[in-house]
Amino acid sequence: MTAAAETAALALDAAVLAGEWINTNAEAGIARIVCTSQPDGTMRVRATGRTAGGEMEEWDEVDAPLYSFTFESRQAGAFSAVFDLGYEEVRMQANVKAGVLVVASFNRFKDDSGRSNYFDREFFHRISKG
Amino acid sequence: MGEPQQSRRSVEQMPMDAPPPRIEAEAMDGRWYKTSDKPQWIERLELDTAGDATYVHIFGGASPSPADWGRVRIQWPYASASNTSSAKAGGFVAQYDFDEMSVEVQANYNLGLLVVATFVTFKQPGALSDRFTREFFFRA
Repeated sequence: MTAAAETAALALDAAVLAGEWINTNAEAGIARIVCTSQPDGTMRVRATGRTAGGEMEEWDEVDAPLYSFTFESRQAGAFSAVFDLGYEEVRMQANVKAGVLVVASFNRFKDDSGRSNYFDREFFHRISKG
Repeated sequence: MGEPQQSRRSVEQMPMDAPPPRIEAEAMDGRWYKTSDKPQWIERLELDTAGDATYVHIFGGASPSPADWGRVRIQWPYASASNTSSAKAGGFVAQYDFDEMSVEVQANYNLGLLVVATFVTFKQPGALSDRFTREFFFRA
């Protein structure tokens, strides 16, 4: 078995996470999250944020480590991701519960704007499976 | 992707004097106990603030959670609201590094509860999977 195949064999099953997720609140800050499973068993995530003018902006795709809900399970139920927007870091904590992707974000500003870091929580439903 | 000129975080567009308001992390200080009677990953935790530094001390529960995780300084406190001028504590992030695993702790403080999530990542592949936990605590 190759190293890549071995890695894939050890990877968690991301079926419940993979796909396109839309925020249940149409006016929320993060509008969309797309989770894409990779051939080596890892997952990558990209997100779409909403601008002040209501326009969408794409956040760069990042690696998203997978986590199960128990130590014995091979099914992933959660992921973490860190988006670096330059002026701000967004640490995303996501897990699926009853078909809903529950996303907590820890938002830390790196610029000198005087804005406070803040916590936020949003909910997403899946419109397509990956 | 270039740096956005207008992001969702700039919705408020409010001019604010730097530095940002100090987040009142001491609002989370105290001894926190699990709300569930069942065994869980974290048994209890303590938070204390001295000046601008806030520390968390976690005591483990069910195996393979270490019995005493030790006391570490939280990386950053976060406000509870996204109006970007709030100083009310809303959560924190902390990192633990053990021989066999690393754990990122992400907690938020809401309605008198501390909701503590952890991302447990093993350093070597083994029988146990990397795990996400989310547990609830009340203050004594």
